[in-house]
Amino acid sequence: MTDIAVRKSRGIRHRGALAVFLVPFGALFALFYVIPIGYAVYQSLLVVERDGTFGPAVQVFGGLTQYIAVFENEAFWSSIGRVLLFGVVQVPIMLGVALILALLLDSPLVRGSKFFRLAFFAPYAVPSVIAAIMWGFLYSPNLSPFTGVTQNVDFLSAESVLWSIANVVTWVYVGYNMLIIYSALLAIPSEIYEAARLDGASQFRIAWSIKIPLVVPALVLTGIFSIIGTLQLLAEPQVFQSFSSAVTSTFTPNLTIYSTASIPNISLAAAMSVVLALATFVLSFTVLKLTQRRTAA
Amino acid sequence: MAISTVARVGAMAALTALALTACSTGGSEAPGAAGGDCAPSDGPVTLTFTSWLPGVEEAVAIWNDENPDIQVEVQTGPNGNGGTYQNFFNQLEAGNAPDLGQIEFDAMPNFRVQDGLENIAACDGILEAEDQFVPWTWSQVTFGEEDAVYAIPQDTGPMAMFYRADLFEAAGIAVPETWEDYQAAAAQIREQGGYINNFSQSDINAFAGLVWQAGGEWFANDGEQWEVNLTGEETTQVAEYWQGMIEQDLVAVYPPWTDEWNAAYNSSEIWTWVSAVWGANTIASGAPDTAGKWAVAPMPQWEAGASAAGNWGGSTTAVLKGSDHPYEAAQFALWLNSDADALTAMNKTANIYPATIEGANLPVFGEGVEFYGGQKIYEVFAEAGNNVDPDFTWGPTMTQVYNDVADGFSGAVSGSGTLLEALQSGQSSTIDALKAAAIPVKE
Amino acid sequence: MTATTASRRSAEPAKPGRSAKTVKPSKARAGGHSGIRESAVSRTIAMAVMVVATLYFLTPIWWLFVASSKTRADFTTTAPLWFADFALFENIAALFDYRNAVFLRWLANSALYAGIGALIATIIAAMAGYAIAKYTFRGRETLFNVILGGVLVPATALALPLFLLFSQVGATNTIWAVFLPSLVSPFGVYLSRIYAAASVPDEIIEAARIDGAGEVRTFFTVATRLMAPALVTIFLFQFVAIWNNFFLPLIMLRDESLFPVTLGLYVWNTQVSQIPDIRALVIVGSLLSIIPLILTFLGLQRFWQSGLANGGLK
Repeated sequence: MTDIAVRKSRGIRHRGALAVFLVPFGALFALFYVIPIGYAVYQSLLVVERDGTFGPAVQVFGGLTQYIAVFENEAFWSSIGRVLLFGVVQVPIMLGVALILALLLDSPLVRGSKFFRLAFFAPYAVPSVIAAIMWGFLYSPNLSPFTGVTQNVDFLSAESVLWSIANVVTWVYVGYNMLIIYSALLAIPSEIYEAARLDGASQFRIAWSIKIPLVVPALVLTGIFSIIGTLQLLAEPQVFQSFSSAVTSTFTPNLTIYSTASIPNISLAAAMSVVLALATFVLSFTVLKLTQRRTAA
Repeated sequence: MAISTVARVGAMAALTALALTACSTGGSEAPGAAGGDCAPSDGPVTLTFTSWLPGVEEAVAIWNDENPDIQVEVQTGPNGNGGTYQNFFNQLEAGNAPDLGQIEFDAMPNFRVQDGLENIAACDGILEAEDQFVPWTWSQVTFGEEDAVYAIPQDTGPMAMFYRADLFEAAGIAVPETWEDYQAAAAQIREQGGYINNFSQSDINAFAGLVWQAGGEWFANDGEQWEVNLTGEETTQVAEYWQGMIEQDLVAVYPPWTDEWNAAYNSSEIWTWVSAVWGANTIASGAPDTAGKWAVAPMPQWEAGASAAGNWGGSTTAVLKGSDHPYEAAQFALWLNSDADALTAMNKTANIYPATIEGANLPVFGEGVEFYGGQKIYEVFAEAGNNVDPDFTWGPTMTQVYNDVADGFSGAVSGSGTLLEALQSGQSSTIDALKAAAIPVKE
Repeated sequence: MTATTASRRSAEPAKPGRSAKTVKPSKARAGGHSGIRESAVSRTIAMAVMVVATLYFLTPIWWLFVASSKTRADFTTTAPLWFADFALFENIAALFDYRNAVFLRWLANSALYAGIGALIATIIAAMAGYAIAKYTFRGRETLFNVILGGVLVPATALALPLFLLFSQVGATNTIWAVFLPSLVSPFGVYLSRIYAAASVPDEIIEAARIDGAGEVRTFFTVATRLMAPALVTIFLFQFVAIWNNFFLPLIMLRDESLFPVTLGLYVWNTQVSQIPDIRALVIVGSLLSIIPLILTFLGLQRFWQSGLANGGLK
């Protein structure tokens, strides 16, 4: 970052231009993120008071009452535990597959990489809701094309449904993550491994010692976004509810928030959202710091 | 209009501070505005009506032709629990709810507790309309209050037993008249490789219909506080009965409304379905290969010779809080749900079974139905409708109750826990949910 | 997160022009003469992995296509992965015929929300990312971190506040309620900051300044061209995000004629138990709703790849 000194003197001079660049995004961001979040936080501090069974409800300031309720809510915490388990297993598998496919596409071993790239990326075009409905049929014991498997293994039972959902998420997002990693690979100057290749290193060796270390930052990026996505799972389990009774109304944190909001207990739902956002932040930050330390070491 | 909206959105930031303060009190303004008076508006009005009933536009079009000064605009969305109720609550909070909305019977107390309904009792002809409706439906829209009407009943779901007449006859099994017979028949059918029924683990409102038939009540409300009773004597009896059927593998346990479930009926694996009147179409379209082989009989009874029936489903048309035209809205709601042409139109597009007494006499209900071997099946349902206990009360957080009990029921069908345990845990989670929403509840 | 990625990136797309140009020929060469070393075995294994992966990714989409082509009766009774009576066009006709072709209207709405929305979102995010990358100002990092924080907030948390906000100005149930919030792409700002830092050299900006070009003009004429691959990427991601989002429209819209296609299909799917015949429409509708996205990929992906290869210094 040699240009910092140059930049420093520049800042104030272009105030007008800065405003042109930043105001459109800043204004929309403030309107549609900052203010709603502020309102949700405010809402989470309220409690309802009521008089008699059909008495009018009055919202009054309740301090941290709702947060105490969140911390005492077992269903909420077990839903967080469930998605953490999900993430610990699914995110590495998904990124591992994405990495392998990206490396293969980038290697000279594979012919027709243009076709494969599109084939792998295609599921990303399928909206989560529709992907979940489709896989519901594929898992079905009677209607699946693979009834030989699905009649012996119940993909929708309480023990396996979490992993059946993990498969849907993997199916949709492998291609997306693969493309991010692949574009990082494309950007590696080929001189870097030209020498290794001339020295007789195998493709596997080049991938392992040269390419992978260079795409670690891309892996960290996709990893963090996957963790955030995992904690916010909503559409897939919501659709799965219609064909697997093992998916409860508190299966994931977002589903718990959704069912709480539809009671309607808006303040409790708002407090849960705030806690979930904080938990997401803490987790992605921790993962970031851990990976940074490892790459630095 | 587009431009002015942009301008308004631009002013949003300035208004937000206002929004934050206004919203917190918005829900509780002007309590009890209606009830005392209900006067017609001056000049032409346009009403908005949110409903997820497929093809309801056709019935509304009839009204719009006849009433140029009261035009009704239909808006749509997913079914109630699929998002429309949530939207209603948001809209009530923001003060921009539609004039009229479709609300199912089991969600009425929730909207009443959230102060989301206009009392239309003072509007012309509404109180007098009571006689036109099946008695139990009217008690659902008045909550037992004096001089109060919060919605007009639209359709109902009186329950009966759909059964495979051909299979019963071929096997020489008598059509069961009591639940005891039913269990005995179940064992015989199981010997032949079939199932008598499917236990619908996630249709808690169907289970409620069975409890309703047995004379149980899940909620009571004395004006001071709610009482929750998911584990009463009758409920326990029904839960233990079905628990036994599940444990002895006498019922199938497919998740309802899936293709698996349809396929089980279509392939003659399942012989009966104790369900509501609208189920007639569900079978016809889900199990087309079995056309002509079905028949309908009254629900099996707990006491031989009795004729109690349960109810599963049914909706109302409610005037939502904050409507500027409650008089016109009430007139439309009453017309929509009692006019013969409107009911016929809605029956045609959405298979509704009317909540009016006269509705059961519409020509369409007098005909034999081919799918049921030409039986005049609606006669059975009309009879059942008259035998539904009017005192059953829904609670103010039914979505939560359904979710919590369904979570436990699905454990029970896969062998962890029992139906009764699921109801017990539903009992305590419901009390917690009511307390969390500051709704007074007896512990 | 930003530090590592940014520094890595600055070493990387920095020279996308050079690298990509050399990658291609060298690859071709490598493929040629390393043939002995990369044994037939590893080649076979690699292709086998590709084929298995292709089957995994495409079978469900194939299933959807086959299912869309079947009559209602054949759907449950014939082999799920092969055609029975080919009724695709009858099904499509029935879909377009249902409720005055409302499905076509939904497709058009989605195209409008996602197409124009993603375009504007890309421009706005690119400006913000570029400014954060290329100008020093107080609170720069804080601003960037706050924007990134936006990614952490669950959509369920924003739903009610956004609804109340739009209610205040009477704009719920208008296209603006869906369109305006989808113009905000925090991830887009993140990507364009990184790409701007890496692929727009300060010297070029200086040169433009010396030529007397204004800052804003420099951005639109010089920087956007250098950032083209990133812009296409942001557009693509935002397009998909808007197309797939049904939560916001679900809350905001009541008028069926304003629905995007995902919400419309969701609504129909909730009516399946009432009117089972709708299921066939949901399936064929799902197929039709993903075709525009796949076409967008096909079109843009080529652009994207060529952008990666040719972007950078011209």
